[in-house]
Amino acid sequence: MRQFAAAFLALYATASFAILEVTILKKDENAFPIVISPFAVKGDAKQGEVIANIMRDNFNRSGEFNASSADYIINSQINFDKWKDKKIEAIVIGKLEQVSKNIFNVEIELIDTYTRKTLYAKKFAVHNSGIRRITHYLSDQIYFALLGVKGSFDTRLAYVTVTNMSNGKREYRLEISDSDAQNPQTIFRAASPILSPAWSPDQNKIAYVSFKNGRSEVFIQYPFMRRKTQKLPYFNGIASAPAWHPNGESLIMTLSKDGNKDIYSYHLKDEKLTRLTKDVGIDTEASYSADGERIAFTSNRSGQVQVYIKYLKTGAIKRATFEGSYNAKAVFSPDGKSLALVHRVDKDYRIALLDIATKDLIVITDNKLDESPFFSPNGGMIIFASNKGDTGVLSVVSILGHQTFELASKAGEVREPNWSHYSK
Amino acid sequence: MLKITSLIMATVLLSSCSTTVEELYQKVAAKPSVVNNEESVVAADSSRFEPQEYNGNYVRKDGGQSSVLQMATAELKNTGVQFVLYFSYDGSEIDEAATQAIIKHANFMRDNPSLNLRLEGHADERGTREYNLALGENRALAVKEVLGLYDLNSRVEVISFGEETPLIQAHDESAWGKNRRVEFIYQ
Repeated sequence: MRQFAAAFLALYATASFAILEVTILKKDENAFPIVISPFAVKGDAKQGEVIANIMRDNFNRSGEFNASSADYIINSQINFDKWKDKKIEAIVIGKLEQVSKNIFNVEIELIDTYTRKTLYAKKFAVHNSGIRRITHYLSDQIYFALLGVKGSFDTRLAYVTVTNMSNGKREYRLEISDSDAQNPQTIFRAASPILSPAWSPDQNKIAYVSFKNGRSEVFIQYPFMRRKTQKLPYFNGIASAPAWHPNGESLIMTLSKDGNKDIYSYHLKDEKLTRLTKDVGIDTEASYSADGERIAFTSNRSGQVQVYIKYLKTGAIKRATFEGSYNAKAVFSPDGKSLALVHRVDKDYRIALLDIATKDLIVITDNKLDESPFFSPNGGMIIFASNKGDTGVLSVVSILGHQTFELASKAGEVREPNWSHYSK
Repeated sequence: MLKITSLIMATVLLSSCSTTVEELYQKVAAKPSVVNNEESVVAADSSRFEPQEYNGNYVRKDGGQSSVLQMATAELKNTGVQFVLYFSYDGSEIDEAATQAIIKHANFMRDNPSLNLRLEGHADERGTREYNLALGENRALAVKEVLGLYDLNSRVEVISFGEETPLIQAHDESAWGKNRRVEFIYQ
């Protein structure tokens, strides 16, 4: 199924775009020290090197690990004392063996240098085109074996790029890529703005806002399927800020069909519209908690722009943010305990984390104009858009490791990031 | 081109008006459903510009609507009326000067019944994109509300571009001030 999807993707991508450059800006030196050895290779299996590199990059980007290589291929006879002296706590060794022209066997083993025990071992047969995918999958497994938490590697990003063309016009592209920004594909191109891409929970659809018909409308695109892009029915006024219900059956979005900007839920199959907020002010930027029982949204109902939470079972709406005069675009952490949001500090807009229960708010970025925060599926990282110099870049900050890396494009601006869920 | 012109126009001072906004509102509000009554148009119309040039008697020539559109709006622009209104940070309030400008547009629309108006609301880059999209619509709706007092609602289309299409591509107060705007586009 997945391989078919990948094949279609290659067919339907209108054009591949420049790969975003990944730069680690801040590294946590106290992160978990791990060695990922070069893989042993048998046959024409150059990808052995690729696998180890992708894996090291994954672990280093996560902010939880300090992953290094070894200057020789480590085999199963490990010199544990040597690695212990170097304060290495775990070692990954692997083998890639060519079975036929395009089929390879991947073997991987994770060993604890202190207990000398194997924490994880796996053997796979994989098609050449699936090696990158398998590497992300195995990275997730190793991450879990070491930390007891799922990794966010076998996931995808969506983002919007903006390029100033030589004719003075701008080109907007909706792009998707692997979680490490590799394998980018343009899935929609327009001369008008694109906003708020959102992966569906099953990772097969992307909802977004396009102005291609002259006003903001919500579209649903199927990047891996031979299926036409779907436009949601026209409601008078703005249609924007789409976000998926965790069951994937409905979207919440902002509509201004009665003049007021309120949050509505739209059921895709039943084509039924349900109003979730009713206020004379602006209600927008709604998002669901993972259990589907709450939505967070931005409202200026108090006279200030603040974040509110609606408890869908009781219908109660409670203000969530009290610190500062501007808090907006909140998204729930996967565990539902906190919100990442845009918080105004004096004249700057930064990303902050709010503990919903204690109302503690911690500002986690220090730029002038940060926006559009979104959690990695395991909750360990937040991706957001930032202004750097005169252009837009994406940044990813690890919440525990205090590490930051940046995704930038030489061709122009990158903005509106969204991180997919785990594939199902 | 339109944008440049509008920008220049916006900096031109409004011509002085003999009637206060409150009085204008009272006259309009007292007769809410008199759109077809030429008398009431004039009555509500004490701030109108060069009335002799806009008597509503445009004849469609070979160029059709577009020539009416171009001719009429060009002349309206020559009167110095603002085609772009500016707003405060996170604000969508219409002040007295803005109201006077909108009333001039209202009179112009009544004199040119073949023209429709598109109000494009915009925000500066600060704050979140989706909130700004909503804010831009609120600004355009605030302008439309005044036009509605002249029973022009059905001829006014409101569109928001939020912060997506700034007039000035810079990151300072003066650019932000120019980007928080509603543009009047006749069609």
